[in-house]
Amino acid sequence: MALIELRSVSKAYRKGRAEVWALDGIDLSVSERGMVAIVGPSGSGKSSLLHLVGAMDRPSSGEVEVAGQRLGALPEKALSGFRQKTIGFVFQGFNLIPNLSALENVMLPMEFAGVAPTERRRRAEALLARVGLEARASHRPRELSGGEQQRTAIARALANDPPLVLADEPTGNLDSKTGQMIYELLREVARERTVLVVTHAEALAQMAERVIHIHDGKLVRDA
Amino acid sequence: MVSLGFRNAARSVSRLVAVTMLGGAGVLLMLVMQTIGRAVEAYTDALQRSVDATLQVRAAGSMGHVNMVGQSDILPSEALDKLRAIPHVAKVEPYLLAMTPTEGHNFAMVVGFNPGDTKRLESHGEAGIGKLVSGRDLTEADRGKRVAVIGQGFARWAGIHPDKLPAELTLDLTRTHPVIFALDRPAAKLAIVGIYSSGYVFGDMQLFLPLDTFRDIYGVPRGLSWLYVKADSAANVPLVERAIRAALGDQADIIAPTSVAEFQTTTTRAVRRLTAAGMALSALLLVVIVYLAMLLVVRERAWEIGTLKAIGAPNGSIAVAFLAEAFAYGLAGSALGLFLYLGVGTPLARQAFALAVGPFLPAQYKDTLLEVLSVSAALDAEQLAVVVAVVALVSVAGSAHGLAHLVRLSPLQAMRRE
Repeated sequence: MALIELRSVSKAYRKGRAEVWALDGIDLSVSERGMVAIVGPSGSGKSSLLHLVGAMDRPSSGEVEVAGQRLGALPEKALSGFRQKTIGFVFQGFNLIPNLSALENVMLPMEFAGVAPTERRRRAEALLARVGLEARASHRPRELSGGEQQRTAIARALANDPPLVLADEPTGNLDSKTGQMIYELLREVARERTVLVVTHAEALAQMAERVIHIHDGKLVRDA
Repeated sequence: MVSLGFRNAARSVSRLVAVTMLGGAGVLLMLVMQTIGRAVEAYTDALQRSVDATLQVRAAGSMGHVNMVGQSDILPSEALDKLRAIPHVAKVEPYLLAMTPTEGHNFAMVVGFNPGDTKRLESHGEAGIGKLVSGRDLTEADRGKRVAVIGQGFARWAGIHPDKLPAELTLDLTRTHPVIFALDRPAAKLAIVGIYSSGYVFGDMQLFLPLDTFRDIYGVPRGLSWLYVKADSAANVPLVERAIRAALGDQADIIAPTSVAEFQTTTTRAVRRLTAAGMALSALLLVVIVYLAMLLVVRERAWEIGTLKAIGAPNGSIAVAFLAEAFAYGLAGSALGLFLYLGVGTPLARQAFALAVGPFLPAQYKDTLLEVLSVSAALDAEQLAVVVAVVALVSVAGSAHGLAHLVRLSPLQAMRRE
């Protein structure tokens, strides 16, 4: 069964007076579990695709359905609930809250989901242990290396046990060795859920089970 | 999220210091204005409690002295019941008055009153209230009896010695004076049972006797010279005055102690308005400070707000963190403001009153107020409650614009604003 269904999805942005089509009539289906890489040159529309799937943005036309929910039909309040329960985000710049510790950063999505404080802490500690950061739980982001920050971000993405993790250039700010480590971690995460990774690093993309190529807002290859 | 909001406030030390200093100045100004307002109100309250709220009512155009040339018209007896029926009238005391010549052009006042009522000296008690220095005062049991209490000046003239009471005094109603006409009444002998002193020459030239006795001696079976109407508060004096005017029409003159009422309606209101305006201005200053601080926060942390939205934060949670941060700024400013207030509040309030409020007061009260006003910057629970309430309101008002803006943004829009 497909976790993600995109039907004739287009997205246009205004750049001054001109209209730029970031995505142009995309049809895509992604099944449950597994790692899917979306590759393409800069400005090809791969991040736009990720944002639409993650309900961070709305399409100009077409339909996006994730985990059985048609996102276009959901009001803003329901979208935040959808992001809470269905999506885990991993950003290129890590996007950790600077004045919270690693543990508190991981606990944050659970607070939004109404998880009890003791349960939040227990789960967050387990997630940090899973990404190998149990000893760094009390450290703030600035006290962590780039790789540690990204591992914390992955633990945060898994906090509410979502069926889908969206990673936007997760190794873009890391050296190749650390990037490799992050990819391996994401591959492990993908054993129990779907991980959709946007990257322009072909070598890393080859570690995914499926690689989708995008160019000028269109799907050009799906293998 | 409340805890996150409070922690966010401490993220930029320079911003926190700047907001605290500016906010502290605003809170200090607000407390100083509140102190001035309260001091003036307390002063007015004290005045209201201590001053005489008594109106004097006489027959129109007459002094109401039964033997005074051209001034012998008196009020009808019914006036007493009419005035007693007026709302906010606490007490009405009737007087009957006559004059009796002494030496040369001098004379003494003879006052008929109900024993137990106030023995006012001079026409409106200007010489105060006599203090008994010898003998006894008049009582209810003296009604209708030929007894009297005399002022020490009048007693000295009449040869009555304080050690020889009771003493006899004869009132000769046929004696005249340029302003006193003779009454065809027999002389009356009175037993003087007490002597009072006021320390005021003319105040000591009075004789108080029971009202019924006065009527009998002077042949005035009906009517009253003066009615002293005591209002239940100084604030109600104008109200009572209007009601007396309505009840007695043109047949009476009313002498009202309007100064206190005027003071209240002018000075207190003026100061209250000015201090309220000062407080509103300082609250506005706080709103602007918090607004600017939160505007910077929105601009600086747009990506963070976008991230929170992306990981599932509902708008309500973001709003709570945002408001908590604004409230923390407000509290920091308040803490400094309160500290400064306790340190320099009293002299500052006095200076502010003299410079900012004083010039707007009616001229006749300005100097008096500056001299007697007891401005003290003591802090109480009410002021603290006001400060906390203002800070809470300021936090909401100052954050409203930024918050409304944040709520409208999608996670992506928020992140792209950075």
